[in-house]
Amino acid sequence: MIRTTRIRVFLTGVGGQGTLTATKVLAQAALDEGLDVTAGEVHGMAQRGGVVESTVLIGGYQSPRIAHGEAHLLLGFEPLETLRALPYLAPGGIVVSSSEAIMPMSVARGKESMPPFEDIEALARACAEAVHFVPAISLGVQAGASQAANMILLGALCAVGRMPFGLSRLAETIKTTMAPRLHDVNIKAIQLGAQAVCVDNSDK
Amino acid sequence: MAQPLTSGVAGDIHLLLGNEAIVRGAIEAGVEVVTCYPGTPSSEVPDTFFHLSKGGNFSFEYSINEKVALEVGGGATLGGALTLTTMKHVGVNVAADPLMTLAYIGTPGGLVLLSADDPGCHSSQNEQDNRIYARLAGLPVFEPASAQEAKEMTRQALLLSRQWEQPVMLRTTTRLNHLRGPVQFGEVRKPTPAGEPVKNPNRFVPIPAVARARHAQLLKKFEEIGTWAETTPFNNVSGKGEIGVAVSGISRTYLADALMEFGIDGNVRVLSLGFSNPLPNKTCTDFLNSVKRLLVIEEGEPVLENELRVLAQRASLEIEILGKGFAGLTRLGEYDTRIVGKALAKIADINPPPASTCSILPETLSALPKRPPNLCAGCPHRATYYTVRQVFRDTVFYSSDIGCYTLGILPPLAMADFLLDMGSSVSAGCGFARASGKTVVAFIGDSTFFHSGITGVINAVFNNHDLLLVVLDNGTTAMTGGQPHPGVEVHAQGPNPVQVSIEGLLAASGVTEVRTVNPMNLKATRAALDELKEMTGVRALIARAPCIIHARRILKTKSDQVAYVPTTTNSIRACLETLSCPAFTVGQDSAIAIDETACTGCMVCLQVSKDIKAHKRRNK
Repeated sequence: MIRTTRIRVFLTGVGGQGTLTATKVLAQAALDEGLDVTAGEVHGMAQRGGVVESTVLIGGYQSPRIAHGEAHLLLGFEPLETLRALPYLAPGGIVVSSSEAIMPMSVARGKESMPPFEDIEALARACAEAVHFVPAISLGVQAGASQAANMILLGALCAVGRMPFGLSRLAETIKTTMAPRLHDVNIKAIQLGAQAVCVDNSDK
Repeated sequence: MAQPLTSGVAGDIHLLLGNEAIVRGAIEAGVEVVTCYPGTPSSEVPDTFFHLSKGGNFSFEYSINEKVALEVGGGATLGGALTLTTMKHVGVNVAADPLMTLAYIGTPGGLVLLSADDPGCHSSQNEQDNRIYARLAGLPVFEPASAQEAKEMTRQALLLSRQWEQPVMLRTTTRLNHLRGPVQFGEVRKPTPAGEPVKNPNRFVPIPAVARARHAQLLKKFEEIGTWAETTPFNNVSGKGEIGVAVSGISRTYLADALMEFGIDGNVRVLSLGFSNPLPNKTCTDFLNSVKRLLVIEEGEPVLENELRVLAQRASLEIEILGKGFAGLTRLGEYDTRIVGKALAKIADINPPPASTCSILPETLSALPKRPPNLCAGCPHRATYYTVRQVFRDTVFYSSDIGCYTLGILPPLAMADFLLDMGSSVSAGCGFARASGKTVVAFIGDSTFFHSGITGVINAVFNNHDLLLVVLDNGTTAMTGGQPHPGVEVHAQGPNPVQVSIEGLLAASGVTEVRTVNPMNLKATRAALDELKEMTGVRALIARAPCIIHARRILKTKSDQVAYVPTTTNSIRACLETLSCPAFTVGQDSAIAIDETACTGCMVCLQVSKDIKAHKRRNK
């Protein structure tokens, strides 16, 4: 198990899922915690429906990029994209991912099929020290809006114990960066996300 | 919420996107005029200025193309204003003409050109390295590598440009534009014009006699700036040892992280260049003299590498210089910590850290379903493309252009056979048709039409070309995020009271056969195309319907009706195969359904298959 004061988080999802908002909140939370942070994102080229990748690097990195084999934490917003991003994991890394699939066009049109979820899970377990799949969209709906799935995942991420801050910091940052009408849903969401990981842990 | 970019005070620390940091730097410098043409990865710079422009202390415009943006900016600096002009790397090709001359005549008010390069082609048709443009034109170059530097260097570049009276290039790459990092704010300098403009045709009107003299002036100025480059803290030498690394741009961050990971920080001698043109020749030569082996790390072309080789040769130094071609350092794409670390480990003769232990085979990954970006559900371009394909099939060639509609390349629409650059669909389409004798249907978006399509149209009429032009007018510059252009009715800050008519421009250019349709009406579009198909010469279809995102965000229109599939029939299958709307899904039992949350209610599919019906939207 890696013990480092420096953490590289690789985030991946589908355009429109709120991965960039999550990236911003996570980076801001690190900054609010008094930590060095650099983050990066790839967007543009009508990412709607395409893959969005972003990074948050905490603890003194200068580069905003994460290469294969460098991510201590992989936060996947969609299981197929989690699978695609597994090579980014560093030895001993942890996967936190949504378990709920969003079909690519070719799959929705019946041209290709998704790998079975069990296969994705097995491949993730083979690469990672720990793997946590949470039903992010359903839990988001439970928190009050399907769009809160991104905060479900941030809550889960902070609950696995590798991040240098916890839920209370995340909640504070949500309060200072988001419009007041969104506070309750998103704070509920990070709590539900964290609980999902804890339940998941007790199962093992 | 208060806008920290304008209201923030010295000492504040904010987490900013690289592009936002550039805006803050310009505001701190007291920028007076900002011009641009949007283009990823530069777009958030002008977008942020646009957002701040009401009540801002600066004048802002979305120009119709990069050449015009730099000409307006050039005029502004001649008039005494501190000026920033922004564009993406390929935009500088469009602006190259005024750029070369601006460096000769100089910029009394100060002018910085932001060139946002895109190594790795994240959203571009090439990965040209615009540091070479700077050398061609004679522009000093800043290359920031962090959000903080983006802010500092923008400020410095603007102020130095005014002091030197020379245009300066702020050269970024996608990773810098789209990184996020803490930025400590500095004081905001009040905008102050350089003073009354002075008439001086012997400097500002580059007739040959003037140009010759100004070229000599430029070279002299460049030498002075080279002396300044020796002292700027943006360039520095650190570490010790016989192995040296010279590095510029964003690669400075990859090197710093690799040195830290290896624990050899300080044991390698590093020449770090944030101000990379003109090179500080003395600093560089001293550095070359202090090491035995040198590794040059820079994405893109071997610009720094070749210049250091020249310096080493001039000083007759016995030094081994390694760069492109060494340990996987290529001229292709982007670098990262691992690529830089591998080269560093090889030259420093140490073991790199272990790579990923992930055992997934590349074949497994490459076999996964891809997720390419796609035209949105409800996108009017899809409807236009569908009908054009119905009329022309594969009997014609499709000349494509730069915008969302380039995504029409994907099957089953398959509406792009060739593409050169922004605005080329018209002129390249003409050339292709003349050379091949084939019918060409050219597509161009509304913003692109104003950018450089209209010049091609005028040329096409004058030179008797044969072209069916389809103007895909969705009322905004959709691909870069919905920026206004002269033809828009309404934009993020309200209505456009001076709308320029595409029909009017076509008519004035001599295009007599123009049909305007709503592409969501397939029958009317088809009728217009059938008519235009029979004609020769330059004729145009204007397919006008708002971008679906623009409609939702700005026009606040939303359909209460959505399409649904009562039972899957062959005609619905055919609709899925030909229209390929992303709101359609196929279940495990092969039954087709329409995702109500994705469906925008455009009702194009109802016209394709009579078996598809409409009903009221169930969820809000």
